[in-house]
Amino acid sequence: MASLDRPGELLIEAIRLTVNGDTHDLGVPSHYTLLEALRYVLGLTGPKQGCDKGDCGACTVLLDGVPTLSCILPVQEAIGKEVTTIEGLAAPDAPHALQDAFDLTGGAQCGFCTSGILMSAAALLAANRSPTRLEIREALAGNLCRCTGYTKIYEAIELAAAALREERMPAELKGS
Amino acid sequence: MKLEDFREKQIAGAASDEELHEALEREFQVIGRRLRRTDGLAKSSGRAIFTDDISLPGMLHAKILRSPHPHARILGIDVSKALELDGVHAIVTGSDVPETYGILPWARDEYALCIDKVRYVGDGVAAVAAVDEESANEALDLIEVEYEVLPYFLDAEEALAHPEMPIHEPKKPDANGNISKHVRLEFGEVDKLLEDSEVIAEAEYYFEGTTHTAIEPHCAIGWFDTSGKLTVWSTTQVPHYLHRELARVLDLDVAKVRVIQPPIGGAFGGKSEPFDLEFCVAKLAMITGRPVKILYTREEVFYAHRGRHPMLMRYRTGADKNGRIQAVDASTILDGGGYESFGLVTTYYSGQLITAPYTMESYRFDSTRVYTNKPCSGPKRGHGSVQPRFAIEVQLDRLAEALDIDPIELRRRNLLGSDTRTVNEFLVRSNGFLECLGAVEHASDWKDKYRQLPYGRGVGVAGSCYISGTNYPIYPNEMPQSAVQLQVDRSGRVAVFCGASEIGQGSDSMLAYIVSEELGVPLDYVRILAADTDFTPVDLGAYSSRITLMCGNACIDAAGKIKKLVKQAVADGWDCKPKQVALAGGWAFDVKDTGRKMPISEAFNLAEAKFGTLGATGSYNTPKDIHGDYRGGTIGSSPAYSFTAHVAEVEVDRDTGFVDVRKIWIGHDCGRALNPVLVEGQMEGSAYMGFAEAVMEQHIFKETGLHNAPSLLDYKIPTSLDTPELESLIVESVDPEGPYGAKEAGEGPLHPSIPAIANAIYDAVGVRIDRLPFTPPRVWMALQLRADREKAGALAPWKRESGRTPLPAAGD
Amino acid sequence: MLRLHPYVYHRPRRLDEALELLKEHSGDVLPIAGGTDLVPNMKHGLFAPGHLVALKGIDELHGIEERDGELAIGAAESLTAVASHPLVNDHFPALAHAASLVAHPMIRNQGTLGGNICLDTRCTYYNQTHFWRRALGYCLKKDGDVCHVVAGGTKCVAAHSADTPPILMALDAAVDIASADGERSIKLSDFFTADGMWNKRLERHELVTRVRIPLPSPKLHATYTKVRERKSVDFPLLSIALAVELDDSGVMDSISLIVAALGAKPRVIGGLDKIAVGKKPTDDIVEAVARQTYRQCNPLDNIIVEIEWRRAMVPVYVRRSFNAILAEPRATA
Repeated sequence: MASLDRPGELLIEAIRLTVNGDTHDLGVPSHYTLLEALRYVLGLTGPKQGCDKGDCGACTVLLDGVPTLSCILPVQEAIGKEVTTIEGLAAPDAPHALQDAFDLTGGAQCGFCTSGILMSAAALLAANRSPTRLEIREALAGNLCRCTGYTKIYEAIELAAAALREERMPAELKGS
Repeated sequence: MKLEDFREKQIAGAASDEELHEALEREFQVIGRRLRRTDGLAKSSGRAIFTDDISLPGMLHAKILRSPHPHARILGIDVSKALELDGVHAIVTGSDVPETYGILPWARDEYALCIDKVRYVGDGVAAVAAVDEESANEALDLIEVEYEVLPYFLDAEEALAHPEMPIHEPKKPDANGNISKHVRLEFGEVDKLLEDSEVIAEAEYYFEGTTHTAIEPHCAIGWFDTSGKLTVWSTTQVPHYLHRELARVLDLDVAKVRVIQPPIGGAFGGKSEPFDLEFCVAKLAMITGRPVKILYTREEVFYAHRGRHPMLMRYRTGADKNGRIQAVDASTILDGGGYESFGLVTTYYSGQLITAPYTMESYRFDSTRVYTNKPCSGPKRGHGSVQPRFAIEVQLDRLAEALDIDPIELRRRNLLGSDTRTVNEFLVRSNGFLECLGAVEHASDWKDKYRQLPYGRGVGVAGSCYISGTNYPIYPNEMPQSAVQLQVDRSGRVAVFCGASEIGQGSDSMLAYIVSEELGVPLDYVRILAADTDFTPVDLGAYSSRITLMCGNACIDAAGKIKKLVKQAVADGWDCKPKQVALAGGWAFDVKDTGRKMPISEAFNLAEAKFGTLGATGSYNTPKDIHGDYRGGTIGSSPAYSFTAHVAEVEVDRDTGFVDVRKIWIGHDCGRALNPVLVEGQMEGSAYMGFAEAVMEQHIFKETGLHNAPSLLDYKIPTSLDTPELESLIVESVDPEGPYGAKEAGEGPLHPSIPAIANAIYDAVGVRIDRLPFTPPRVWMALQLRADREKAGALAPWKRESGRTPLPAAGD
Repeated sequence: MLRLHPYVYHRPRRLDEALELLKEHSGDVLPIAGGTDLVPNMKHGLFAPGHLVALKGIDELHGIEERDGELAIGAAESLTAVASHPLVNDHFPALAHAASLVAHPMIRNQGTLGGNICLDTRCTYYNQTHFWRRALGYCLKKDGDVCHVVAGGTKCVAAHSADTPPILMALDAAVDIASADGERSIKLSDFFTADGMWNKRLERHELVTRVRIPLPSPKLHATYTKVRERKSVDFPLLSIALAVELDDSGVMDSISLIVAALGAKPRVIGGLDKIAVGKKPTDDIVEAVARQTYRQCNPLDNIIVEIEWRRAMVPVYVRRSFNAILAEPRATA
């Protein structure tokens, strides 16, 4: 491991990151968070910066399937793990059921918290096919939304859960 | 390849004959349906590009040095050491941009960076552009500023009492430099009617400041290209006003300035005027020849602020024995913070906007906006009227109790009604308030709950009214407030160019619904290009809930012109009258024989062949005879008013003071819901935001002038677990001025949350909390005081036996 | 956004490597587990070590298992793991509950039990950006020599704000501590000090490696209550851990009551044995315990919520803690 010769000097680390199924070999300043690496190095701007320090959840990504705050995660902690961002949620040919459901119910207004909320919701639905309203609220309790009052978000997650159970798209259930 | 060959796919996706037949039975084909947004999937898939997501080649990053003092004179700034730092490209200070700016043309009092004085902790002093954020931050530490620290005021009443230490130079000699605006208006004989009233409610209310807290921090990018053109991308909700101010302050030809507003991550009024970062990125881009970005930290967002004014409100309200409001006498002090912002308007709004939905025989308000050494207050969702709405609606609850009238009944007895004028002479046309009241009364089981629930649980009601846009623009002119330009492609695709700002409320979608409705094209044939001043006709911006009404009307105007040509061209071909031709579901068809039809693109081609390239502009301006002609009589007037009623149900924990808001029923008259999904979204988001202000938010400061809690950890906005159940009940009164009858939905439904919760707390435990927010310590203290009075026999127990929560004595 | 300072990030695979790194870079190094507190603190300029030693990748710091009459939990286990693990839930539901109340779901996914135990103390004048603290003139705890909470104060009173230590103390837990120089163990009730600067009996080169909790007797009933403004995200304004042993007739054989989030050290309420042991938790006895607790608790303005109310809530939540225990089916049987 290289060491800092002078205080304040930048150290660039060679890091292998697996993001949305792609493996990237990158040179990243050692003090970068995962969010900085995603946004500034890889150009994946889906995860957002809202609060600087882990209070709002807009930067949430999945780390081996677990919702994680990328804005306070040293980038090195993602080495050897699968990172999934909002950009990697959908299959190439169709939106993820959650994305379709958010679109149908108006779950995204300004859309800024949405990418973080969807990652928390995706992890919830992966673990629980039929979450109750309270379980949904608990799963989202680290993702602040300022537009919706959360109501349409809950409806979207419930709709997506039903669609995933029935192996259909939310639009087919909702009829539009 | 022939044109017809392209149409097979379109025909396959267009409406069937049966659907067309059904379409004839309906008033609207698109309007009123629960449709997707135009930007929904882009947002839910992370593809929407917000301002901070944009990165330009060679882009520099800038940071702003901010004042550590609440009030100080700047004696000198030395940037020489910072300039020597590797990676630093340019530094600007106040003297580099020596022109004042401000959203109101007659009250410009801010500089891009302070020149002579700083007026709050966080006021900008210098800006550094460097190769990256780290270098810019490092350079800030090397800038030396010499300050002469001045006495400062954090309390409005204190600032008012000390004109000898003015925060701003007095506007006139002998004037108090700490007064930003004073307004006093009286309608009717207030004093006499108060004297004649059967009952008078008198109370003092305090509304704590709150801030918008959009999740997206402010961000701007400036780029000055070699042709001498300045482009600024910004998280602004008023691109047109920013366009003008940038040109004026930087002394550029306004034709050579372009403002682009990307999708915005929430605004709520917090991005509705120019800010230091926009001028700084522009100036630094001009100096360096490189694109320059500034992204605020969350802390800086709290300093930019422009949120809800703290207001101290003294109200006297008199009613006759039947509960009819005879007189309202309001005296208000607004804490404006360090600058003017929209202050003049806020001061008027604090009085002008509470004269509906109730009749009042007489009304007087006296409002004074005061400067203090805190971040500047401004417009937050429900600008200027959320605070007095809290006061007046609790006043009505007090009157109802004094007269032993159900508070919903009391409101019914004071209905303003439709097609009438308010006491301050605003013309109100549609009015669905009665239906709103009925909807929430019914849905909440009000009659079984009011004063019937056990101790600790209660319901409260409140009503409100809000504007659908201000009747006049911020700078006086006769031109339209909003405009839309349409361009039609031979494929059937219609492009909409409009200056309106999509800030999450759905304005892009609204435009698409209208074009789809009017021209019969499928929704996904409509493209929106909005808020780019080089390409879009002027719309004044996303403030005062103006876009649906004004932009919507402009869009109908433009689409109507094209529709007329298309119908004419088709009718000529079919040898019928144009009114026999309808455009819907992807077709032009014969209303008398739906079997006779052609794909809409074919109809467009016919029209283009006949009349030339298809395009149209449409615009909207407000009617001018809908307000009083007294001084200030235009401020607060609107082409249409929305109405709202809420019932809130709460549970108060008597031992701790925690208020658990269980549910809010929201009845809102939006005229017509162009898309109910979006209207409900605005109603729920508004009610949530009011709830948040009611129980937890406070934008407050420590004695040192430092912000109490400039982070999303310490400034409390509700999580999913805190937010109550919200039920939307849409009321449609169909306004004659609104597009298809539509009025606003984005701000009105915030207002009643707060007084409804206050009144519900009273119903639950018998204490009036007249000071916001209703935090556990405040509610608990009020409960202790009530218990003491009950014990002393001064009050009867409230819905239960008397008793104070046992607390060990201090010396125990 | 707020940026971090440059540092070297070490990711040792073995505990001894980590301990060597801590010793080697002594004075310019910090261990990092979940980083949920340390990273924000570094963004605020409260710490700027040249080296970080990451702990999550060290196997020896993981595992939740029963052994030798104890439940042993590796310090690098996430709070989510602690909250959801069957062994924790079977033996110590109150600990699982406490872990589930920390901050919010992602913080619990990332944050660890060891990190929660070693959480830096918090204060409204300390947990702020460098700009803010410099404008204030800094404080005792960092870069300054003035306390803004206690006028003229010479001792830092930043608040212990972690959720798991109070209940772990009530459950008589101990922590294993390792350094390059050796290993030791200490009862958690002896671990904390009243010094807000550094409220732990832990040398800077030492690591908490494991938490051990004696398996409970069937008589043990415990509860943890957290008072906070929001139902998620927030640190406690006041927290109370209560453990009592009830014999078959409902008489208390032992009682342990800890109140935290007031000062730098979780307060073990004294004198309760005399008041409660050998008695049933009747209203009168509970009231006496509440009174005794209230007497010993004096909140300070280190947290931005009124101290009078925070103090008044002490007896309220003591009563509620007893109610929670007595409402358990086992307790009333």
